[in-house]
Parts: sequence; C-alpha cells; structure tokens
Amino acid sequence: MNAFIGFIMGPMVWISAMIFIFGLLIKFIFIIKEVREKEQYLLSYMTVRHSLRSICAWLIPFYPRSTRLRPVYYGVSYLFHILLFVLPVFLFSHIVLMDQSLNLSWPALHDGAADILTLAVILALVFFSLRRRLEPDVRFLTSVKDHLLILMVLLPFVTGFLAYHQVFLYEWMVIAHVLSGEFLLIIIPFSRFSHMITAPLTRAYTGSEFGHVRHAKDW
Amino acid sequence: MKQWVFFMVFILIMGISGLVFSREDQERLDPSAFETPRRPGAVFSHDGHNEKAGLSDNCALCHHVYENKQLVEGESSEDKTCSDCHGLKSGPENGIPLVRAFHARCRECHFDSGKGPVLCGQCHMKE
Repeated sequence: MNAFIGFIMGPMVWISAMIFIFGLLIKFIFIIKEVREKEQYLLSYMTVRHSLRSICAWLIPFYPRSTRLRPVYYGVSYLFHILLFVLPVFLFSHIVLMDQSLNLSWPALHDGAADILTLAVILALVFFSLRRRLEPDVRFLTSVKDHLLILMVLLPFVTGFLAYHQVFLYEWMVIAHVLSGEFLLIIIPFSRFSHMITAPLTRAYTGSEFGHVRHAKDW
Repeated sequence: MKQWVFFMVFILIMGISGLVFSREDQERLDPSAFETPRRPGAVFSHDGHNEKAGLSDNCALCHHVYENKQLVEGESSEDKTCSDCHGLKSGPENGIPLVRAFHARCRECHFDSGKGPVLCGQCHMKE
C-alpha cells in the first residue's frame, strides 16, 4: 500500500503537472498555428493594445456591464475562480508536502479559514450545477458532459474536506483526493477547462475587433 | 427513497463509531516545541514502535549526531530532544527545520521500509 501511495503522491504528481503545463502549452501553440494557416485575416487587425485593454477590463470584478446585470452569477463565479487557485496553492498541508519534496515553502492560509472557503467552493459548484438544470437557456446548452466536468472539480474539494476532518475511511479519502486532483490536472488541456488559456485568446480577438475595427468598447 | 434512508443511516453509524472509538488515549509526540502547532501531535509509542520496527539496538538512527553536516559514526544523542538541534525556521545554521526533520525521519523511513503510516492523518490523528 505504501508503494502505491508513494507513487500517487510522488511521481504521479509531477506527471500530472507536466501533462497540465505542456498540454496547455502545446494547445496554445496549436491554436496560433491553426490561426496563422487558416484564418490569417484575424491577425491582420489584432493589436496588443486592444487585446490587453479588453483582457484587463474583464479581469476587474463587476467592471464590464454584463457582469453588473447578473451580479449573483458573476459574484459566485469570481469567488469560485479565485478560490480554485488560492485554496490549493496556499493550503498548509500542500505546502508541507512541497517543503518535504522541494525544500520550498511559502505562507499558508489559516486552517479554519481554508475550511470555510472549501465549503464556499463546494456551494459554488452546487450553484453552477443547479443553474445548468434550472435556467432554461443554459439548460438548453447543457449536456451530461457539463455535469460530469462539474463533478470532476467537486471531487477533490469534497474528499479533501472529508479527509481533513478525518470523518470516515480516512486512508481511502486521501487516496481519492490525490487521484481526483491529479485527474483534474490531466484533463484540463483536453476539456473545456482549457478556457484557462482560450478565454484570454477569445478576449484578445473580441477586444481587437471592437477596439481596433469598430472603435468601441467590448465591456 | 429506501436507498436514501440506507445512506443516511450509514453516515450516522460512521459518525457515532467515530465518537465511540476516539483515539484520545494514544501516546503522542510532545508538540510543545512548536509555538503554534497546526496539527495534533503525531501518534507515537517509543518502545512499541522500536520493538515492531526492530530498532531496539539502533538508537542512533533517530538519536543521531551530526557535526559540520557529517554524521558522527558510533555516537548517539538520547539525552537531547529533536528540537535541541532542529530549530523551527530554516536558515544557514539550521539546514533541516523541525517539521521537515520529523517528516523526513518518520515518513520517508515508512516509505523505504514499506511499513507504517505515511498519510497526514495517520499520524496526526484528530484528538
């Protein structure tokens, strides 16, 4: 058992991290290559200034008009996306493991705060799932795959929460936590989660078309 | 509906058994060297562990002595606590801080030998 745990908490972490990073990098290169070959005209009116202007405007919470029209959905979405990065990166248990393997450490979140924020992430995911079931226009665009993707994000947070509290089946909970976290990292480049890199590209394109061609704002 | 009731009863039994079989009476390492311990002290029974692990004659494995980053063969340090040498914060004078020393000593040995706890909560059990 220790050999299996050693593998999933050792080499498998680096394998998943590499697939995540290089998968996204290759996807990025592939998109740029495709655009250059097939949609050359897009590049003719894309500018760095209008691209960055649009990306920055959409990074400021509630600055774009459409985010102010739907404050609850965007509020939950902002909070969720920030916590999705902050929680795992600044979690004490994760930092201790990092310190153990790479002698690298940084300040950690208070455990009690991390606990409450984990519940916030879980609730946000339940909210997204309900929204996909209840809001007619989103429901129309939703397939089983979307719910599966939400479940994939939910799993590491729920198992991490239960493992921290050592409620039941502790060993299996940690194993499920590690495996679901690694699985999530691995599927990012191959699923809609790659909007990590494609969203800024879409923003850059839209920002350039509105800013450079139509001389209008896209926020 | 039946499945739902079964699931809730299962959760309830798990919760109650957690309360009944709490591990309060287990021997633990003294966490007093840490100013603000973030986890309960690790479960550890010195004699029981060493008998099981066959370490009764090898005190210096844990109670080692290092001078100028070199292990001093044949010497041991049973009269000292781990925190006498391993300070809390890492620095040029303190290459292996206390948390890392404990984890390296216990967890890595458990990985190498294929026996013993290796997950956080297997040692830092809830009190």
